[in-house]
Amino acid sequence: MPDTRTALVNLALLLLLVAVVLSSLSMGTVQVSPLDAVTALTGKADPMTDFVVKELRLSRILAGLLSGAALAVAGCLMQTLARNRLATPGIIGIDNAATAFAVASVVGVGLALAPSAMALAGAAAATALAFGLAGANGTRGYRFIVAGIGIGAIAGAVMQVMLSRVAIDAANAAYPWTVGSLNARSEQSVQVLAIGLVAGYLTLLAISRALNTLQFSDAVAIALGTRLKLTRILGLALSVLLTGLAVSVCGPVGLIALLAPEFARTISRPGKVPLTASALAGASFMVIADLLGRTLFSPLEIPVGIITAIVGSPYLLWILLKPSKRSLT
Amino acid sequence: MKSRRSPFTAFLTISWATLAFVAFGAGPAQADTQTRTVESAFGPVTIEGQPERVVTLYEGALDATLAVGANATGAVITRGGSDVADYIQSEAGDIAIVGAPAETNIEAVIAARPDLILAAPRTSERQYQLLSRVAPVVVSNVELFKSDTWEEETRLFAEALNRQAAGEEVIEQVKTRINEVAELVEQTIPEGKRDASLVRWMPQGPLVMAEGLFSASMLQAVGFDVTDSGLVKEGRPHSEPLSLENLSRISQSWVFLATLNKDGEQALEAAQQSPAFARLNAVQQDQVITVSGQLWTSATGPLAAMAILDDIEAAISARNP
Amino acid sequence: MVASRSLFPPLFVAGFLLLIIVLASLVYGAGPVSVSDAFAAVAGGGTEEARFVVTELRLPRTVLGLLTGLALGLAGALLQSMTRNPLAEPGLLGVSAGSGFAVAVAILFGATTATLTTVVAQLGALAGCALVIAATRVQGLGNDPVRLVLAGATLTGLLLALTSMLMLMDQRAADEIRFWITGSIAGKPLAMLQATLPSIAIGLVLIVLVARPLAAMALGEKAAVGLGHHPGRIRFLITVTVALLVGSATALAGPLIFVGLVVPFIARAFSGPDIRKTLWLCVPIGPAVVLGADVISRLIAAPAELPLGVVTALIGAPVLLAIVRAGRMPSL
Repeated sequence: MPDTRTALVNLALLLLLVAVVLSSLSMGTVQVSPLDAVTALTGKADPMTDFVVKELRLSRILAGLLSGAALAVAGCLMQTLARNRLATPGIIGIDNAATAFAVASVVGVGLALAPSAMALAGAAAATALAFGLAGANGTRGYRFIVAGIGIGAIAGAVMQVMLSRVAIDAANAAYPWTVGSLNARSEQSVQVLAIGLVAGYLTLLAISRALNTLQFSDAVAIALGTRLKLTRILGLALSVLLTGLAVSVCGPVGLIALLAPEFARTISRPGKVPLTASALAGASFMVIADLLGRTLFSPLEIPVGIITAIVGSPYLLWILLKPSKRSLT
Repeated sequence: MKSRRSPFTAFLTISWATLAFVAFGAGPAQADTQTRTVESAFGPVTIEGQPERVVTLYEGALDATLAVGANATGAVITRGGSDVADYIQSEAGDIAIVGAPAETNIEAVIAARPDLILAAPRTSERQYQLLSRVAPVVVSNVELFKSDTWEEETRLFAEALNRQAAGEEVIEQVKTRINEVAELVEQTIPEGKRDASLVRWMPQGPLVMAEGLFSASMLQAVGFDVTDSGLVKEGRPHSEPLSLENLSRISQSWVFLATLNKDGEQALEAAQQSPAFARLNAVQQDQVITVSGQLWTSATGPLAAMAILDDIEAAISARNP
Repeated sequence: MVASRSLFPPLFVAGFLLLIIVLASLVYGAGPVSVSDAFAAVAGGGTEEARFVVTELRLPRTVLGLLTGLALGLAGALLQSMTRNPLAEPGLLGVSAGSGFAVAVAILFGATTATLTTVVAQLGALAGCALVIAATRVQGLGNDPVRLVLAGATLTGLLLALTSMLMLMDQRAADEIRFWITGSIAGKPLAMLQATLPSIAIGLVLIVLVARPLAAMALGEKAAVGLGHHPGRIRFLITVTVALLVGSATALAGPLIFVGLVVPFIARAFSGPDIRKTLWLCVPIGPAVVLGADVISRLIAAPAELPLGVVTALIGAPVLLAIVRAGRMPSL
């Protein structure tokens, strides 16, 4: 059903994204005017500008865009499933576990799979473990959360031990993974992420009606004809998948999964699950964060994970501490 | 009417041409058009002329570049610092910073407009590809942690910079200095008492630095016997922090104590707070020497060599006036 | 069944266990001193090296571990009782992270003296505490344990990110902060102990004062008021106590997560919901956990040592999971 407000919001966010991407393509240690940046995209500017824009910046921005969108959608899903504004895949330890597995791959411990595959494996393992331990209540009981915190802590500790025991080069190579950075990405993981994101998004669109009904109590949802169990499982699986893929590209930038959907919910029509808005907002936030990280203390770079945490956490705390009037608890 | 131009003019033309060719063919013209091929870790690299704007992504490269008198326009910060190392500050002047050792900011490199890039030994292939688009890149292919590593690196970089003669001169200077200090060691420290260890002190315990480190090789060159007691794993620059209960493993007569920052004094104070420290052999013989971490644990190259040798000489002389 | 459990059997057992662990802490280590030698040293004899290791290295460390475990265990029990939340733990709620961040800032500005670091750590803990308490007062947040934990996780995340950024700015400080923030009681000078003793002492006194009112508050605020207590005042006192204890512990050992969670869990399993009994049991169990972890940290990675913070996480998390699995979430 066409919905003016949603369409407008999405359009506005899309424009924001384009503006942000353009700025990011132009700004950096080497200043390029936006016009030159666009020309460079078509390959017609001078070779050095071409190189800077296309080879250095574009791939990075693309990676940020995709991972930001994926994290945001995953967060939005999780929050809908758990009926809690603060739920993210991160709290069940997925972020940490995925990172730990990815780091293991980078430093050469364990299976010889690529970091992205390992990250996905880590995410899946953490979820399975959390579920197994949570018992009957599934995603809504707080056993799930507690289990997740425990898993996250173990993953963190194991990662620390790993890093302290390998050669210094490997440890340095793994550092970006631990804080969340776009520096360590591989082309392959970005491609896999792109595929996963598109596939996941399309699937979600298909079940968006069912997702919308999840906001109400189980009884109401069933009365409205939703196949509750199936929707939940699908939602959770997609959330885990998207998070795992995103972490394999950028490491644990978990706050996007909280910030973007929250932002999307604030500006969207209440009562609907703002998937597209979240994705667009997440993409923008990530690219902005990367831009700030690249330019604030140039030539030194601040990883994207740190920027999002510093900028995002106060906003989040504010959301937490003010009384909530929105439909999600 | 044709004059009698041909033979005489021809002769003149040819001789002038030959003279010109000789005059400009040899000497300066050789530098202008000369291209060299330098062997790097990624194969042969072709470099034209005399590089005037060099960006170094490796402390050893910066050292060598400045030592042979070339102009460095960009460098990475020293490990553990926020600028280039202290000992090289004055030589480096107002050099542009292009990143940290592990993370080079390629855009900053571009902004420095280099005509030659000297990169660190373990540069990744991907990084190399990207950098090559900016300027010729020479990645050192010299094997690390050997006693002649610094020498070979200096030769390699000097060749890339087209200052081979200056390079050899600088190496000679260092060797002469080594001999001087070696003599001092010979005269003042009895044989059998020259065992030494290079240590960085942390509150939980000391980090023993690897035997293959540059400063350790300098110590060995002047006659000290440097060991890491088998505590350092292959490929690592230092050990895990030793438990304070295992201080007896650092039983050497001489201990060179470093911190990551410039001030070795702070390291000494911190170490002295631990009762286990006083039991070290070196402490009891007053042979603990505080040194700058930047210079002693991460620097390498001819200028660093001279500075380290100065430190060693000062330390020995102070104890044997 | 639950109402009148005798305290003495578990207390004795715990105390006995603690004694054994203390002995282990004096006798085991990462160094070359043999166990029998160490035993001899404890008795007063033994080789000179053994005596040195036992008295100069392990004894201060053991005392440090005792105090840290005591402080964290008690603080955790208090926080959980006050917030009615079995997941409320100084580490998880950002109090330790607040302490840690404050100390990181201090290190960045060059602070090296023990007293300064201790004071700073306590101020940081106080700030963290204040935020947490403010969060529980917000409607809806206090009733839902999950939301509180999520808020705490966010705060911790923010502080860790800020600390990371500090470390990026100054590499020298980064090295120190990195080692400090993993948590360890190795090599800390006795002066630190002296600096934190007053705070811990005050904290203990305060606990004695608030124990009974806190127990009364478990019956509900109205009942407590009816009995003549002032819940607001009590909460304030508890906040201060937790801040003092956690600040001291963090100043001594760095941020140690999970200790404040695991210790009260174990204690409550034997004591039931009465906060006073729980607090008593935390007294031996807290140090036992921390010292036990410390002994393990010495033995696993000789000749180096595994950082204590890593060991407590590796021990605490599975214990937590096991508790969750068994379905025993004792009510408060």
